[in-house]
Amino acid sequence: MLKTLIRRELLDNLMTSRFAAVLLITLLLVVANTVVLIQDYEQRLESYNGAIRTHYQELRAAKTYSTMAILVDRAPNPLSIFNVGLDKRLGNLVGIYHGFMPTLWNAQMHGTDNPFIAFFSLIDIVFIFEVVLSLMGLIFAYDAIAGERERGTLRLVLAQPIGRGQILLAKYISAMACLLVPLILSLLFALLLLMRSIPLSTADFLRIAGIVFASFAYLSLFYLIGLLISVATRRTGTALMLAMFVWGFLILVYPNLIRATVNPGGDIQARTKIVEDQIQQILDEYERERQKFLEKEGIAGETSEFSKALGLHSYAFVDPVTLMSYVENISLISEIHPEFEQYAPSAKRYYNFVEPLSARTVEKTWHIRKQALDEIYVRQAETDRVLLKFSPVGVYDAATQAWAGTDLEGVRDFFSTARRYRKAVIDYLYAKEAFSSREWFIADKGAVDWSTLPQFTFERSTVGTNAKRALPDMFLLLICNLALFMLIVLIFMKSEV
Amino acid sequence: MWHIAKRELYDNLNSLRFALATVLILALMLTNAIVYLREHPARAQAYHNAAANATKTVEARSTSLYRLAAEGPGDLHKAPSPLRFCAEGDEAFLPTHAGGSNFFPGIANVRPIWRMIYPQETPHLFNIRPDFTTLDWAFIVGYVLSFIALLFTFDSISGELERGTLRLTLANPIPRHIVLVGKFLGAFISVNIPFAVAVLMNLLLISTSDAVQLNAEAWGRLGILSGIVILYACLFIALGLLISAAVRESGVSLVVLLLIWVSFVIFIPNTLASIGSRTSVPIAYMEFWSRRIQLGNEAREAYRDKYGDSQTPPPVHVLGEYVTSEAEAYERFNEAYLKQQIEQGKRARAIIRISPTAITQRLFESFAGTGFERHLQFIENVQRYAREYREFVIDTDRADPESLHVVGIQEGMSQKPVNPKAIPKFKDTLSLNRDFNTASTDLLLLVLFLMVIASGAYLAFVRLEI
Repeated sequence: MLKTLIRRELLDNLMTSRFAAVLLITLLLVVANTVVLIQDYEQRLESYNGAIRTHYQELRAAKTYSTMAILVDRAPNPLSIFNVGLDKRLGNLVGIYHGFMPTLWNAQMHGTDNPFIAFFSLIDIVFIFEVVLSLMGLIFAYDAIAGERERGTLRLVLAQPIGRGQILLAKYISAMACLLVPLILSLLFALLLLMRSIPLSTADFLRIAGIVFASFAYLSLFYLIGLLISVATRRTGTALMLAMFVWGFLILVYPNLIRATVNPGGDIQARTKIVEDQIQQILDEYERERQKFLEKEGIAGETSEFSKALGLHSYAFVDPVTLMSYVENISLISEIHPEFEQYAPSAKRYYNFVEPLSARTVEKTWHIRKQALDEIYVRQAETDRVLLKFSPVGVYDAATQAWAGTDLEGVRDFFSTARRYRKAVIDYLYAKEAFSSREWFIADKGAVDWSTLPQFTFERSTVGTNAKRALPDMFLLLICNLALFMLIVLIFMKSEV
Repeated sequence: MWHIAKRELYDNLNSLRFALATVLILALMLTNAIVYLREHPARAQAYHNAAANATKTVEARSTSLYRLAAEGPGDLHKAPSPLRFCAEGDEAFLPTHAGGSNFFPGIANVRPIWRMIYPQETPHLFNIRPDFTTLDWAFIVGYVLSFIALLFTFDSISGELERGTLRLTLANPIPRHIVLVGKFLGAFISVNIPFAVAVLMNLLLISTSDAVQLNAEAWGRLGILSGIVILYACLFIALGLLISAAVRESGVSLVVLLLIWVSFVIFIPNTLASIGSRTSVPIAYMEFWSRRIQLGNEAREAYRDKYGDSQTPPPVHVLGEYVTSEAEAYERFNEAYLKQQIEQGKRARAIIRISPTAITQRLFESFAGTGFERHLQFIENVQRYAREYREFVIDTDRADPESLHVVGIQEGMSQKPVNPKAIPKFKDTLSLNRDFNTASTDLLLLVLFLMVIASGAYLAFVRLEI
């Protein structure tokens, strides 16, 4: 009996012109946007490759250790085609230096970054699904019960020996089967286009499967919302209007409304100021120790001559917005001062003292800074995301971003790798005894050999990590589905025909 | 005709959709006003302080004409528009100032002179908060009002056709086009009632607040914006009638309308903008940065080739020529890069005009004095002021008989203090005239769209078989 019902519903749904219209528009939008997205990805990949080459050459061009310029780049994520998330927007280039802690907040951008087109958002595949699939789910559901009730066919069906729950189940299964057609078809087209130009690994296919599963749960959630409205109202006209306004509110209005009205940051300036002062104290401490060393070396009185002979520039400052502390001692010598050789042994000792000290200083400030950044920026962003999750769009978006690895965690992974790489570079410098070497500040007896420097590699997190990050949101989607279905069954059981 | 319009109106006023639409738009408009009142005073204050600081900086430099010539006018700030609640534009992404700066090192013992720089502000580089659209009027009208207009009209013909009441209406001795106009008017009034109420509440809140004062010009601009809202609402009502008449089932007409809406409002503007922006891509910022450094190096090399590192300082006019040409080349390069960026922005904005929503967004930005076109106007103002400022320096220098008239070099210029009142002041003015000029094409396009769709609706209804 269930089978008969499903068949009837399926035919009812498939033969309508609304199904054809929805299929057509979904395919059109997904294919057109995938082409645009692939081009965009390729352009970003090209600028990434260009940046890698340039930075490689720039590193080779540095003749001394103190002028080294190690820059690492974040490759664009191929799955950003599904959900671009923060992948395109956040900085993708950061310097590696022992007197500086690389974070997301100090990253720069390779590639073009034009403020005049920042206004337009890139339409990714998940966004199309967010808008179109939800609309589809509601349109297929609003008259499922209310329509039959109006036409009087519901009575006829209920006169048969079938449970009410079964009727709902049949309607759900058949409608979902119909709705999956545009979803799967458009995804297949997108994948076809994708595989022609972008190589995807097995892990990527697993991630895409996760995205498809999340899309399925999202679609089902909206179908159930429509069904709930349909069960609860007596007339299709009312059901339709309610469904449309619910859609408008959940998709268009709520996500923007919540971001505009709620400002969880608090007084950011006052809080950054406190932390800035703390970091400044550590930097002052560094400066005192540096001066003490100069005194001990007996060159405190002639520091200016020492600096001039070495071409020494010494900075230590903290950025008031991003709380970055930067400690640098650099020798920019274009010509050798007559008194240079006299200071060379002191210079070796100076750098051997000051460079490990600046690395330590920066690590000390990093403990304070990390906490502050988490408290000021990350918590704010997380509150935003939690608030967004009151609409299914927010949950779906978060889940797919986690699968694609374009969420905040995914981007921050890169910067933690960059910080580990910084550690590796420092270890390398220690191992080569670079701090106390002559090549640290002058290249007159041969330039630095960079070929043994450890290479920077960044691997996106494993599928397991992606899944773990997506799990809470996936659960939330599934639980909402289940709860809604139970609610619908309860209402339908109690309703009069 | 009035009879039909009245009937439609009563039908709509009693319906659920009217109630829901009123609640939704009212809530949005009130939020808009509250957010604006929360944010605007701080923004206006920040601008005020920055402008006052800038004036002080120039006054501090007026101790000698050389300082003015070498250090320049300092930062020039963009005045925030009081109508930002109408259209946020992309103000959050755009720089709020341009500045004359001179901190770039030149050659030994020669101080370089100021040049205009256009800061590349990318606050979104570490903005980890989720993206969102501001709830400005442009959003409420462009997205929500058009959506509501479609919900009011999708069944106005097909619904009556299904119920059979259309036959009864047409059996009366009324020409069809009168019936259509009646339906149009009925829908128009019922869409505009919630909107008008919400707008009035919004403006009431804003105008009663002490923090913001809207002047006569601002109210005039608001009037123009209301006219645009009416045009835009008419367009979507006509579209609803067209599809409703062309597709005879109301279920199908709704689906078709929603899909058209989704494409027009959401997809066309963004997708086409990203295609359009690809036709003219500026060089990467890092590359721009390194090329600019290279440019300075080249100027220095050229100078060294000519005069070497000789210890005897070259004549004043040679140094003068070096500092001015270096600053000019630097500024030209900055402006060329800015031009590339603007060109890309223009391309992206030109191609999206297939969508009436994008046109309306542009019109809103033009008349609210925000966004891209407004920024171009600011840049024009900045460039005009830079010319004025340089002319002032040269003219003042010429008036001093003791000066050697070599601008940019201390020994070659007048050292006398300058009356701070005489120095030209930067005024970031907005002209309604110019806004009309930039908006005229968009306005005409919108009217054209409306006419095409309205005549389509007329044809579809006249040829409708019952």
